[in-house]
Amino acid sequence: MIAEMTRPPEWAEAVLRLSLNAADRENVSGDLLEEYRASIVPIRGKTAADRWYVGQVAGFVWRATWVWAFLFSGEFVARTAYDWLVPTTDFATRSAVSTWSGVAVLFFAAMWTAWRSRSFTAGVLIAMITSQIAAVISVVSSAILFAIWHDADTQRAIAGSGGLAEVFMLPFAMIVPALIVGGAGSAAASLGRRMLRT
Amino acid sequence: MADVLGAFEQAVLLAVLRLDDEAYGRAILKEVQERLERDVAAGAVHATLERLVRKGLLSSRLGSGTPIRAGRARRYYRLRPAGVRALNDAREAVDSIWRGLKWPLVKAINTL
Repeated sequence: MIAEMTRPPEWAEAVLRLSLNAADRENVSGDLLEEYRASIVPIRGKTAADRWYVGQVAGFVWRATWVWAFLFSGEFVARTAYDWLVPTTDFATRSAVSTWSGVAVLFFAAMWTAWRSRSFTAGVLIAMITSQIAAVISVVSSAILFAIWHDADTQRAIAGSGGLAEVFMLPFAMIVPALIVGGAGSAAASLGRRMLRT
Repeated sequence: MADVLGAFEQAVLLAVLRLDDEAYGRAILKEVQERLERDVAAGAVHATLERLVRKGLLSSRLGSGTPIRAGRARRYYRLRPAGVRALNDAREAVDSIWRGLKWPLVKAINTL
Protein backbone atom coordinates (compact mmCIF):
# COMPACT_ATOMS: atom_id res chain seq x y z
CA MET A 1 0.00 0.00 0.00
CA ILE A 2 2.81 2.39 0.90
CA ALA A 3 4.67 1.55 -2.33
CA GLU A 4 1.56 2.43 -4.31
CA MET A 5 1.66 5.95 -2.91
CA THR A 6 5.40 6.42 -3.38
CA ARG A 7 6.51 8.82 -6.06
CA PRO A 8 9.79 8.95 -7.94
CA PRO A 9 11.77 12.23 -7.95
CA GLU A 10 9.53 14.91 -9.47
CA TRP A 11 12.33 16.45 -11.49
CA ALA A 12 13.14 13.06 -13.07
CA GLU A 13 9.51 12.47 -13.94
CA ALA A 14 9.34 15.95 -15.51
CA VAL A 15 12.49 15.29 -17.59
CA LEU A 16 11.06 11.93 -18.71
CA ARG A 17 7.79 13.49 -19.87
CA LEU A 18 9.69 16.19 -21.76
CA SER A 19 11.88 13.66 -23.57
CA LEU A 20 8.89 11.65 -24.87
CA ASN A 21 6.77 12.47 -27.88
CA ALA A 22 3.25 13.67 -27.16
CA ALA A 23 1.54 10.38 -28.09
CA ASP A 24 3.64 8.36 -25.64
CA ARG A 25 3.86 10.77 -22.74
CA GLU A 26 1.09 9.24 -20.64
CA ASN A 27 1.53 5.52 -21.34
CA VAL A 28 5.34 5.38 -21.10
CA SER A 29 5.52 7.48 -17.93
CA GLY A 30 2.69 5.33 -16.56
CA ASP A 31 4.61 2.11 -17.36
CA LEU A 32 7.69 3.37 -15.56
CA LEU A 33 5.64 4.54 -12.56
CA GLU A 34 3.86 1.19 -12.36
CA GLU A 35 7.15 -0.73 -12.47
CA TYR A 36 8.64 1.64 -9.88
CA ARG A 37 5.76 1.18 -7.47
CA ALA A 38 4.88 -2.48 -8.07
CA SER A 39 8.34 -4.01 -8.41
CA ILE A 40 11.24 -1.71 -7.62
CA VAL A 41 10.25 0.06 -4.38
CA PRO A 42 9.05 -3.14 -2.61
CA ILE A 43 12.29 -4.96 -3.42
CA ARG A 44 14.96 -2.26 -3.32
CA GLY A 45 13.50 0.44 -1.10
CA LYS A 46 12.79 4.09 -1.93
CA THR A 47 16.36 5.36 -2.28
CA ALA A 48 17.57 2.58 -4.58
CA ALA A 49 14.28 2.75 -6.48
CA ASP A 50 14.82 6.47 -7.07
CA ARG A 51 18.29 5.69 -8.44
CA TRP A 52 16.78 3.03 -10.70
CA TYR A 53 14.14 5.51 -11.94
CA VAL A 54 16.73 8.20 -12.70
CA GLY A 55 18.78 5.59 -14.57
CA GLN A 56 15.77 4.65 -16.69
CA VAL A 57 15.04 8.32 -17.43
CA ALA A 58 18.69 8.81 -18.42
CA GLY A 59 18.19 6.02 -20.95
CA PHE A 60 15.23 7.80 -22.52
CA VAL A 61 17.11 11.12 -22.57
CA TRP A 62 20.12 9.42 -24.18
CA ARG A 63 17.93 7.97 -26.94
CA ALA A 64 16.46 11.42 -27.57
CA THR A 65 19.83 13.18 -27.76
CA TRP A 66 22.70 10.89 -28.79
CA VAL A 67 22.54 11.50 -32.53
CA TRP A 68 22.46 15.30 -32.08
CA ALA A 69 25.22 15.09 -29.44
CA PHE A 70 27.52 13.16 -31.76
CA LEU A 71 26.81 15.59 -34.61
CA PHE A 72 27.51 18.60 -32.39
CA SER A 73 30.66 17.15 -30.86
CA GLY A 74 31.77 15.88 -34.29
CA GLU A 75 31.92 19.36 -35.75
CA PHE A 76 33.77 20.67 -32.66
CA VAL A 77 36.35 17.89 -32.70
CA ALA A 78 36.79 18.20 -36.47
CA ARG A 79 37.44 21.92 -36.06
CA THR A 80 39.90 21.24 -33.24
CA ALA A 81 41.81 18.68 -35.28
CA TYR A 82 41.87 21.01 -38.29
CA ASP A 83 43.27 23.89 -36.20
CA TRP A 84 45.99 21.66 -34.78
CA LEU A 85 47.01 19.95 -38.00
CA VAL A 86 46.48 22.82 -40.48
CA PRO A 87 47.47 25.93 -38.50
CA THR A 88 46.45 29.37 -39.69
CA THR A 89 46.43 32.95 -38.47
CA ASP A 90 43.06 33.78 -40.02
CA PHE A 91 40.30 31.90 -38.23
CA ALA A 92 37.37 33.89 -39.65
CA THR A 93 36.17 31.34 -42.20
CA ARG A 94 36.71 28.33 -39.93
CA SER A 95 34.95 30.04 -37.07
CA ALA A 96 32.00 30.94 -39.27
CA VAL A 97 31.65 27.37 -40.58
CA SER A 98 31.99 25.68 -37.19
CA THR A 99 29.76 28.20 -35.41
CA TRP A 100 26.93 28.03 -37.90
CA SER A 101 27.07 24.26 -38.23
CA GLY A 102 26.91 23.96 -34.44
CA VAL A 103 24.00 26.42 -34.33
CA ALA A 104 22.21 24.37 -37.01
CA VAL A 105 22.58 21.12 -35.05
CA LEU A 106 21.19 22.62 -31.83
CA PHE A 107 18.42 24.45 -33.70
CA PHE A 108 17.20 21.31 -35.45
CA ALA A 109 17.57 19.21 -32.31
CA ALA A 110 15.28 21.63 -30.48
CA MET A 111 12.88 22.01 -33.40
CA TRP A 112 12.56 18.25 -33.96
CA THR A 113 11.99 17.60 -30.24
CA ALA A 114 9.51 20.45 -29.82
CA TRP A 115 7.61 19.28 -32.92
CA ARG A 116 7.33 15.64 -31.76
CA SER A 117 6.59 16.43 -28.14
CA ARG A 118 4.45 19.53 -28.80
CA SER A 119 6.41 21.17 -26.00
CA PHE A 120 8.51 24.33 -26.23
CA THR A 121 10.28 23.44 -22.98
CA ALA A 122 11.19 19.98 -24.25
CA GLY A 123 12.97 21.47 -27.26
CA VAL A 124 15.02 23.84 -25.11
CA LEU A 125 15.85 21.14 -22.56
CA ILE A 126 16.97 18.64 -25.18
CA ALA A 127 19.19 21.27 -26.86
CA MET A 128 20.83 22.06 -23.51
CA ILE A 129 21.31 18.38 -22.60
CA THR A 130 22.65 17.71 -26.10
CA SER A 131 25.27 20.43 -25.64
CA GLN A 132 26.49 18.90 -22.38
CA ILE A 133 26.60 15.32 -23.63
CA ALA A 134 28.45 16.64 -26.68
CA ALA A 135 30.84 18.45 -24.32
CA VAL A 136 31.83 15.19 -22.66
CA ILE A 137 32.30 13.49 -26.04
CA SER A 138 34.32 16.47 -27.31
CA VAL A 139 36.60 16.59 -24.28
CA VAL A 140 37.30 12.85 -24.40
CA SER A 141 37.91 12.96 -28.17
CA SER A 142 40.17 16.00 -27.87
CA ALA A 143 42.15 14.30 -25.11
CA ILE A 144 42.67 11.34 -27.42
CA LEU A 145 43.77 13.68 -30.20
CA PHE A 146 46.22 15.38 -27.85
CA ALA A 147 47.57 12.03 -26.72
CA ILE A 148 48.29 11.21 -30.37
CA TRP A 149 49.52 14.64 -31.50
CA HIS A 150 51.44 16.71 -28.96
CA ASP A 151 54.72 17.43 -30.76
CA ALA A 152 56.20 20.92 -30.61
CA ASP A 153 54.60 22.08 -33.89
CA THR A 154 51.16 20.89 -32.80
CA GLN A 155 51.51 22.54 -29.40
CA ARG A 156 52.38 25.82 -31.15
CA ALA A 157 49.27 25.40 -33.31
CA ILE A 158 47.17 24.71 -30.20
CA ALA A 159 48.51 27.82 -28.47
CA GLY A 160 47.79 29.87 -31.59
CA SER A 161 44.19 28.68 -31.88
CA GLY A 162 43.08 29.36 -28.32
CA GLY A 163 44.98 26.90 -26.17
CA LEU A 164 44.04 23.73 -24.33
CA ALA A 165 41.80 25.60 -21.91
CA GLU A 166 39.53 26.52 -24.82
CA VAL A 167 39.51 22.91 -26.06
CA PHE A 168 38.57 21.44 -22.68
CA MET A 169 36.34 24.17 -21.21
CA LEU A 170 34.56 25.80 -24.16
CA PRO A 171 32.36 22.76 -24.90
CA PHE A 172 30.72 23.00 -21.46
CA ALA A 173 30.07 26.72 -21.95
CA MET A 174 27.88 25.82 -24.93
CA ILE A 175 24.96 25.34 -22.55
CA VAL A 176 24.23 29.07 -22.77
CA PRO A 177 24.07 29.27 -26.58
CA ALA A 178 22.11 25.99 -26.48
CA LEU A 179 19.48 27.69 -24.31
CA ILE A 180 19.12 30.54 -26.81
CA VAL A 181 19.32 28.47 -30.01
CA GLY A 182 17.08 25.83 -28.43
CA GLY A 183 14.52 28.51 -27.78
CA ALA A 184 14.69 29.59 -31.41
CA GLY A 185 14.29 26.02 -32.64
CA SER A 186 11.36 25.37 -30.33
CA ALA A 187 9.73 28.63 -31.42
CA ALA A 188 10.13 27.56 -35.06
CA ALA A 189 8.40 24.26 -34.28
CA SER A 190 5.54 26.05 -32.50
CA LEU A 191 5.15 28.44 -35.42
CA GLY A 192 5.25 25.55 -37.89
CA ARG A 193 2.50 23.70 -36.00
CA ARG A 194 0.37 26.80 -35.84
CA MET A 195 0.78 27.35 -39.58
CA LEU A 196 -0.02 23.73 -40.41
CA ARG A 197 -2.73 23.63 -37.73
CA THR A 198 -1.69 20.13 -36.64
CA MET B 1 13.25 -13.59 -47.57
CA ALA B 2 12.39 -10.29 -45.84
CA ASP B 3 14.89 -8.59 -43.52
CA VAL B 4 15.44 -10.97 -40.62
CA LEU B 5 14.50 -9.64 -37.20
CA GLY B 6 17.19 -8.93 -34.63
CA ALA B 7 17.29 -11.00 -31.45
CA PHE B 8 15.83 -8.24 -29.30
CA GLU B 9 13.05 -7.54 -31.80
CA GLN B 10 12.17 -11.24 -31.74
CA ALA B 11 12.14 -11.22 -27.94
CA VAL B 12 9.75 -8.26 -27.90
CA LEU B 13 7.42 -9.71 -30.58
CA LEU B 14 7.31 -13.08 -28.83
CA ALA B 15 6.55 -11.35 -25.54
CA VAL B 16 3.60 -9.61 -27.23
CA LEU B 17 2.45 -12.99 -28.60
CA ARG B 18 2.70 -14.71 -25.21
CA LEU B 19 0.98 -11.92 -23.27
CA ASP B 20 -1.93 -11.78 -25.73
CA ASP B 21 -4.55 -9.31 -24.37
CA GLU B 22 -2.24 -8.21 -21.56
CA ALA B 23 0.59 -7.08 -23.84
CA TYR B 24 1.20 -3.52 -22.62
CA GLY B 25 4.50 -1.69 -22.07
CA ARG B 26 5.39 -2.76 -18.54
CA ALA B 27 4.22 -6.35 -18.98
CA ILE B 28 6.26 -6.66 -22.19
CA LEU B 29 9.31 -5.29 -20.34
CA LYS B 30 8.93 -7.87 -17.53
CA GLU B 31 8.39 -10.73 -20.00
CA VAL B 32 11.47 -9.79 -22.05
CA GLN B 33 13.58 -9.53 -18.88
CA GLU B 34 12.39 -12.95 -17.74
CA ARG B 35 13.11 -14.60 -21.10
CA LEU B 36 16.50 -12.96 -21.59
CA GLU B 37 17.39 -13.48 -17.92
CA ARG B 38 18.85 -9.98 -17.57
CA ASP B 39 17.83 -6.40 -16.77
CA VAL B 40 16.55 -4.52 -19.79
CA ALA B 41 16.14 -0.75 -20.04
CA ALA B 42 12.55 0.41 -20.42
CA GLY B 43 13.76 2.81 -23.12
CA ALA B 44 15.14 -0.06 -25.19
CA VAL B 45 11.78 -1.89 -25.12
CA HIS B 46 9.87 1.29 -25.89
CA ALA B 47 12.15 2.16 -28.83
CA THR B 48 11.81 -1.38 -30.21
CA LEU B 49 8.00 -1.31 -29.87
CA GLU B 50 7.92 2.03 -31.72
CA ARG B 51 10.11 0.62 -34.48
CA LEU B 52 7.99 -2.53 -34.84
CA VAL B 53 4.81 -0.47 -35.08
CA ARG B 54 6.45 1.71 -37.77
CA LYS B 55 7.43 -1.45 -39.67
CA GLY B 56 3.81 -2.62 -39.57
CA LEU B 57 4.56 -5.73 -37.47
CA LEU B 58 2.57 -4.54 -34.44
CA SER B 59 -0.54 -2.45 -33.90
CA SER B 60 -1.35 -0.56 -30.71
CA ARG B 61 -4.28 0.96 -28.89
CA LEU B 62 -4.68 2.93 -25.70
CA GLY B 63 -6.48 1.29 -22.78
CA SER B 64 -7.59 2.56 -19.40
CA GLY B 65 -5.27 3.54 -16.58
CA THR B 66 -5.02 2.16 -13.06
CA PRO B 67 -4.40 3.82 -9.67
CA ILE B 68 -0.89 2.40 -9.38
CA ARG B 69 0.06 4.37 -12.51
CA ALA B 70 -1.77 7.48 -11.37
CA GLY B 71 -4.56 6.79 -13.85
CA ARG B 72 -2.29 7.04 -16.88
CA ALA B 73 -3.42 5.02 -19.87
CA ARG B 74 -1.79 1.75 -20.87
CA ARG B 75 -0.83 1.18 -24.50
CA TYR B 76 -1.62 -2.38 -25.59
CA TYR B 77 0.10 -4.05 -28.51
CA ARG B 78 -1.05 -6.80 -30.88
CA LEU B 79 0.86 -8.83 -33.41
CA ARG B 80 -0.15 -8.11 -37.00
CA PRO B 81 -0.02 -10.76 -39.78
CA ALA B 82 3.23 -9.20 -41.03
CA GLY B 83 4.67 -9.67 -37.53
CA VAL B 84 3.74 -13.35 -37.55
CA ARG B 85 5.41 -13.76 -40.96
CA ALA B 86 8.51 -11.94 -39.74
CA LEU B 87 8.79 -14.26 -36.70
CA ASN B 88 8.37 -17.33 -38.90
CA ASP B 89 11.03 -16.02 -41.29
CA ALA B 90 13.39 -15.39 -38.38
CA ARG B 91 12.91 -18.92 -37.06
CA GLU B 92 13.40 -20.36 -40.55
CA ALA B 93 16.64 -18.41 -40.93
CA VAL B 94 18.00 -19.75 -37.65
CA ASP B 95 17.00 -23.32 -38.53
CA SER B 96 18.67 -22.96 -41.94
CA ILE B 97 21.93 -21.72 -40.39
CA TRP B 98 21.97 -24.60 -37.87
CA ARG B 99 20.87 -27.32 -40.27
CA GLY B 100 23.13 -30.37 -40.04
CA LEU B 101 24.62 -29.31 -36.69
CA LYS B 102 23.75 -30.79 -33.34
CA TRP B 103 22.94 -28.48 -30.44
CA PRO B 104 24.69 -28.05 -28.06
CA LEU B 105 27.95 -27.93 -30.02
CA VAL B 106 30.81 -30.07 -28.77
CA LYS B 107 34.22 -28.47 -29.13
CA ALA B 108 36.34 -30.47 -31.59
CA ILE B 109 39.90 -31.04 -30.49
CA ASN B 110 42.26 -30.57 -33.43
CA THR B 111 45.59 -32.31 -33.33
CA LEU B 112 48.43 -31.49 -35.66
